Amino acid sequence: MGRVEPSLFSSTSDPGIDQANRPDPRAFWVVTFAFVLTVTSFGKYEISRLTPLFFYPVTIGTLYGVSARALLRKAFFALPFVLLVGLFNPLLDRQVLLEIGGYSLSGGWVSFFSITMRSMLAVTSAILLAMTTPFDRLCLGLEKMRVPRVLVTQLQFLHRYMFLLRGEALRMVRAHDLRAQGNKPRIALSTAGSMIGLLLLRALDRATRVHRAMLVRGFDGEVRVLHPLRFSWSRDGGFALGWILYFVLVRLVNLPEWLFGWVVGR
Amino acid sequence: MSHHFLDVAGLCFAYPDGTEALNGVSFRLEHGESVGLVGANGAGKSTMLLALAGLVLPSGGTVNVGGTILARNTVGEIRKRMGFVFQDPEDQLFMPTVFDDVAFGPLNQGLSVPEVSSRVRESLEGVGAAHLSERPTYRLSGGEKRAVAIATVLSMLPDILVMDEPSSGLDPKGRRLLIQLLKKFTHTRLVATHDLDLVMEACSRTIVLHEGKVAADGASREIFENAALLERCHLEPPLCMQGKC
Repeated sequence: MGRVEPSLFSSTSDPGIDQANRPDPRAFWVVTFAFVLTVTSFGKYEISRLTPLFFYPVTIGTLYGVSARALLRKAFFALPFVLLVGLFNPLLDRQVLLEIGGYSLSGGWVSFFSITMRSMLAVTSAILLAMTTPFDRLCLGLEKMRVPRVLVTQLQFLHRYMFLLRGEALRMVRAHDLRAQGNKPRIALSTAGSMIGLLLLRALDRATRVHRAMLVRGFDGEVRVLHPLRFSWSRDGGFALGWILYFVLVRLVNLPEWLFGWVVGR
Repeated sequence: MSHHFLDVAGLCFAYPDGTEALNGVSFRLEHGESVGLVGANGAGKSTMLLALAGLVLPSGGTVNVGGTILARNTVGEIRKRMGFVFQDPEDQLFMPTVFDDVAFGPLNQGLSVPEVSSRVRESLEGVGAAHLSERPTYRLSGGEKRAVAIATVLSMLPDILVMDEPSSGLDPKGRRLLIQLLKKFTHTRLVATHDLDLVMEACSRTIVLHEGKVAADGASREIFENAALLERCHLEPPLCMQGKC
């Protein structure tokens, strides 16, 4: 498993990642939220003006050691949903918007590319948040930002449950493969149906046992941790303010056009 | 008078499908006693332990922990006094790091940060796992997980330790360390297990459960020398008494 994977798939922080040198999760939440807001605020035919926004995932990925491959692999899972959203645009909006080298491009295709681009930018920013900050710190950040505790606890449980579900699924598939035929055994549809039912029951059983273990150690609905977050205005405030100013700049100024004009003007 | 006793009287429990798991179980553990709870699969051992911690509510009988009777409004108090080590340490460890997991109980008890830190350190040292403090719980070996699971309970300073199959999944060295640890504790201990050799070494007294009832209760050696009893309860003498070790 890669260096940053545990923060996404487990409820644990990777000791290989020094969290002390990373922005406070509150700053990260605010920046991610501002980024998504900026991305979604652009019109449906905007493409070129979105390009400066790629600077954010590229910089964060480079700074915190997230490989482009790992990021894209995870973002790929969201692609079918993204494509589905814009799928009918080329059919519904046939008005020609652009003429490039004799080829005409309809408004539907432009908006389709724009939707895909904006969605992937938003998805990658969320994935980056999860890959660079352990889930428990993200939840602590939310709690410090006065998000209702019950919601944060639900998120923690959901995350833990996903982890249990994944573990149980892996065990079941392994048990199936060991008794199945062939080098790459496939799970038959009829078997898959009963396996999914069984998987849910097993994961629920396991979740009950974990919940019991929490209860006997005094769990009362609040998950308390001993590592308080420390918000440094110079580091975390600077991080948040710097990025928000950049997003405002990208939103207000057509940077690609300005850059093009500046290069041509010289 | 010591508050470290456990008194169980006429405990009954039936599962929703009608299966009677406990049928009038009674016994008493005195301060500092180490007692093995043995029995065949389905004898009612695990249900018994769940009922002691108030995780399933018995349909009859009483559980008295140091003078407090188990009821809906006293379950919190009971759980403060009773440390419960689950059969699968994977179920017991749910926090990001070993330190966080061991601190979970003391933090819920409302202790101050320095107090929690010192309890965590002492508990981990007690089970020889101080070096694991900053490790993520999912990266520990089976033996390490078991040691940390015990530390999570010790950090709450329980009067009574209740353990469900503590030696399952341990390698011989891990098992040996566990036995030494169990011998070292001064808590009142109740150990449910199939590992009868462990009981012989670490528990002076043994309770045999059979079909939801106490079939025998006495000195471990006497129990394991009673071939007819063991046969009736689907058990065998420990290997060390069979001359196999």
